Formats: sequence, structure tokens, C-alpha cells
Amino acid sequence: MKYILKRLWFYIMAFFGALALNFFLPRMMPGNPVQMYLSNLYTSGGVIDNATIAAVEKLFGYDSNKPIIISFFNYIGSIFKGNWGVSFTFFPQTVLESTQRGLRWTVFLLGTALIIGFIINSLLGILVAWKRGSRLDTTLTVGGQIMANIPSVVIAIILSITLAATNIFPRGYAVTPLFFAENVFQYIGDIAYHAFLPVLAVIITGLGGIMGMRANMINQLGEDYIVMGIAKGVPDKKIMFGYGARNALLPVVTSLAMQIGFLLGGSLIIELVFNYPGLGQIMVMAISRRDYPLMQGILLMTTILMLSANFIADIAILILDPRTRRQGGN
Amino acid sequence: MFKGDGVYMKKIWNSNIVRFFRNSPKTSIGAILVIIILFLTVGASLFTSIDPTNRFDNEYHSPPSNTHILGTTQLGNDLFSQTLYGGRVSILVGIFAGVLTVFLGIIFGISSGYFGGWYDNLITTIINIIMVVPNIVLLLIVAALIDGVSPFLICIIIGLTSWPWNARVLRAQTMSLRNREFVYSAETLGESKLRIMFVEIMPNMLSIISSAFVSTIIYAITASATLEFIGFGNPLSCTWGIMLFNANKSGALTSGAWWELLGPISGIVLFGAGLTLINFSIDEVSNPKLKAQRIMRAYYKVKKAQAKIIKKLSLNNTRMEG
Repeated sequence: MKYILKRLWFYIMAFFGALALNFFLPRMMPGNPVQMYLSNLYTSGGVIDNATIAAVEKLFGYDSNKPIIISFFNYIGSIFKGNWGVSFTFFPQTVLESTQRGLRWTVFLLGTALIIGFIINSLLGILVAWKRGSRLDTTLTVGGQIMANIPSVVIAIILSITLAATNIFPRGYAVTPLFFAENVFQYIGDIAYHAFLPVLAVIITGLGGIMGMRANMINQLGEDYIVMGIAKGVPDKKIMFGYGARNALLPVVTSLAMQIGFLLGGSLIIELVFNYPGLGQIMVMAISRRDYPLMQGILLMTTILMLSANFIADIAILILDPRTRRQGGN
Repeated sequence: MFKGDGVYMKKIWNSNIVRFFRNSPKTSIGAILVIIILFLTVGASLFTSIDPTNRFDNEYHSPPSNTHILGTTQLGNDLFSQTLYGGRVSILVGIFAGVLTVFLGIIFGISSGYFGGWYDNLITTIINIIMVVPNIVLLLIVAALIDGVSPFLICIIIGLTSWPWNARVLRAQTMSLRNREFVYSAETLGESKLRIMFVEIMPNMLSIISSAFVSTIIYAITASATLEFIGFGNPLSCTWGIMLFNANKSGALTSGAWWELLGPISGIVLFGAGLTLINFSIDEVSNPKLKAQRIMRAYYKVKKAQAKIIKKLSLNNTRMEG
């Protein structure tokens, strides 16, 4: 319990740190968003007077009269009240609504890819550690690492031009537009069909996980209890999965949480290439229209996503590893 | 021709460096890939006489042909020369961003590991905060706030947002070295803190630093390509990321104009693969545990040979019995 509280405290602090980053970043930059927005407005023929400036400042949460610390606390307050500002790309919608709309699909995509990728990486890692030094080992570790180092844009483009441009898989959207499924299964099938390529791309960018699992597994295989197991005549499969893998998986869960940030960034770009209606598309739209409230909202939303993923990983470790439970009790 | 040449060649063949490359096919392939790409991009004018910004009239969007090895873009630019010249900028951005990232990582990582106390707390907090924010998103938003991004600015943005990963590893390593005897003796001798950190402690971590440098170059090329693909960067300039951006804009993905993508994609993939392979060998040299892989490979070889012999013997035996 103490362990959980300690981690929770860390996440709360990190969240406030991210809030501070989110607040001060635009204010530290050479051109502040208000000025930029006004100049855009001016070049497109808008009339700028004091009232406009005041209105834009209010929209962005800037107030040149108040000291910066007070506006910072105001900002934190409004974030917790759920008032994240108004997006002017999707005008009547608030920032919170537009990010939540994309978040569903991003979480679905990333979650599916994480679970499948975790299973694939772990199984391959175990296998490769068991046969370390063989040709299979070299091929899989080196190949996996090279694949993981290819930018996600490039992977998405390659998949798109080989499999989507030839109409084997769809070139966009999460469901077929104007498609009314007859039953739930058809609907799920349609979603899976559209999600296949993006998920595959995220899995490929995450293939570096094989290396991590392999290293842990090799460390475990050198332990005395494994030698003891072999000496007792325990079957190989049981030593692999029941003895070694169970312990080797623990550090992987922690590193998985760290990896989520990279995979999330990659999946946003992959969504863009596959025209998938997730956060990535909303982010690029916000960026191309210089929609600062929406950009900040997305930064905050992705941070929350990452923090919650890390927290879930912590709880998972707690359930999987009895040692942390004991450590917390002391 | 001369007898001396053969001896000389043999000497080179058996020298330590060549032997290292011979024993490690990964390193040789990686080094060859990187060298070829560097050679092609740095010496771009040797391989193509076409200016990458030159627009060929009436040759818009044409597939590969004799005059244009990789075809042309929608604006009529030659893709082969764009790939070569564009690689220059992309690789330079990667290297500069890598240098900056590793430099910041070294400074903050080693100093916070060495000094500890409130300074360490401060740096760790900053590291944790930056690491909690998804890197690509942070990168994009900083780029959007700066507005109008040149390759130089891309380097700086990548450097400023990516150092925490290196700093964290180096900090942990410094903390484990900090209490060794050689550091104490240097302190007793009254050496300056700066000298202890960067002359006494840092050389022990050179392998980690060089491996971090190589992987940061890969990351920086990825990040700059991503930034440019999304639309930061000058669409009239020529880098691998911009080429992808232009191809995407002109609908190469939907129309199946693969030749527009082939150049930048193979450039990024092959250079990344080469650097990855080099990184493997750096790890192998610095981490004795990984050397086991080589020993195991030799073991498998011997075992295979033994199995063959045993098979032969048993065959002979059965023949003799028969």
C-alpha cells in the first residue's frame, strides 16, 4: 500500500510538472501565441483593436495585467474544473471534447498494439534467449532492433504503399463510412479490418522489446534455481515458461511503461498516414492551424495517458511480484 | 607483384582492426552501409550532374527511366539527385542533434550523479517531467510555438527535448562510479571537481556514451523526418523528410507512385540499419556478457561438427555390424 501511495505521489508531482511545462512553454518562446494569432488575423484582413486583443488574450488565458504566478494558479484551477479552453479548429467544441473524441481511437489502437506486441516480444524473447547464439537468435535480435529503429513514418508509409494502395487493406478511417453493420460481429470485424495496418505498424516499431526480454531471460537462465531445475530433470518447456519467464517478465513490464511514450508518439504519426481518426489527426490539424489551446490540451491528454499507463504497470508489478508487496509492508 | 606486397597485405589482414571486422560480420556490414551512404551523400556531385532544385518541364511525375534513375516528382525534380543531396542535410541534422543531445546528457547526467543533494533532486525532477511527456508531441508543440523551422532549429529542438534519456543512464552510472577508490584519491589529491567529473569519471563511460551517441543519431534522423513529414520545414528545401512530405502531399501514397518514396525511405532505413549494427558491436565490446554470444556461436559450430562425426561413426558401426 505504501508503495502504491509513493508511486501515486510521484505521478501527481509529475502531472503538476507537466502542467507547469504546458503553461510556461508558450510564454518562454520568442513569439507568444497571442501575437502570432493576431498577426495571422491581421494578414487575413481582420481589424485589430484593443477589444480584439483583450478577447484573444482571454481566449488563450493570457492576462498582461496579472502577475504570471497568479495566472498559473488560475490555469491549474481551470484545468481541474474541466475547462481546457475552446478549440477554434472545431469551434463549438471545447478542447476537452475534441481531445476525448480522438482519445478513444488512440487508446484502442495503442492498447491493442501493446497487448499483441507484448505477447509477441515476450514469446520471441524467451525463445531467442533459450537458443542464444544460434542463427535464429542473431536474426531475430538484430532484425528486431533494426525494425524498431526505422521511423514510424517510414514503416507506416511502406505498409501503406504495399498493402493499402493495392486495396488489400483499407486506406483510411476506423470504420467504413456510411456503413451500417447488421450485427455486432460485423461491426467488430469492420473495426478490426481497418485497425489491422496501424496496429501492425505500432507492433513493428515496438519490436525492440525482444532485446529487453532476451537480456532478462538470459540473466534468469544463469541463476542457480534453473540449474537445479535442469538437474532435477524438469522438462525444458516448464523451465522456460514456469521458471525463467515468470521472473524475466517483471522488469519488462516496467520498461513497457517507459516505452509507451515512444509508441504513443509513433502511433500518432501512424494514425496520420493511415488517416485514422485518433489524437494524431487532431494534433496535426491543431498544429497546422496554430490552434494553441487544442495543442496544449493534446499535450496534457497524452501526458495523462502516459501517467495512467505507468500507474497501471506499477499495479501490475505489485500483483505479479510478491517481493514489492513485502517491501511496501515494511 | 612484389614479394613485399604480399607480406604487407598479410600484415594488414592480420592486424587487430581487420581481425575485429572479420570476426564480427555485423560490424562490417554496418560500417560498410554507413560508409557507402556517407560517400554517396557527401560526394553527391560525383554521382549525379543534375541539380536537385532543377525542374524538368514536361517531365512531371514520371516513373524511373534512363535519364532519371528514380523518376521525377510532381514538380519535375529529379528524385535521384534529391535523395543524394537531401541525405546530406538529413544526416547532418542527425549528427548535430546527436552531438547536442549527448553533450547535454553528459553535462547534466554526470554533474547530478556526482554532486547529489538538491542539485541532483532538481535535475532528476526535470528529467522525470520531460520523460513523462510523450517526446514526439513535445517536439511538435515546441516546433509549432517557434514557428518556421529550419534544419538548424530542428537540431536544437531535438537536443533540448531528448537529453533526459541519456542523462538518466549516465547519472546512474556516475553514481555507481562515484564511490570508487580512484575518485576518492583524486579528491584527496585536491583535483578540481570539473577534472574529476570529466577526466576521471567520464572516460569510464565512453562505451555508454558512444552507444548513446549512435542511437541518438538514429533518433534525431527519425525525429527530423517526422517533423518535416508533418509540415515543419521548408517545402522547397531538400531533405529526406521533406521528400516524404512532398510525396505525401502529391498523393504518391494513393496513386501508388512508389518511386517518389523509394529514395528517402531506403536512405533512412539503410542508414538506420547500419548505425544499429554498429551499435550492436559497441555494446558487444563494452559489455563482456554479450561476448558470450560469440563464444556460444563457436560452441554451436563445434557441436555441429561433433554431431556430424558421431553420425558418421555410428553409420560406420552399423555398416560394420551389418
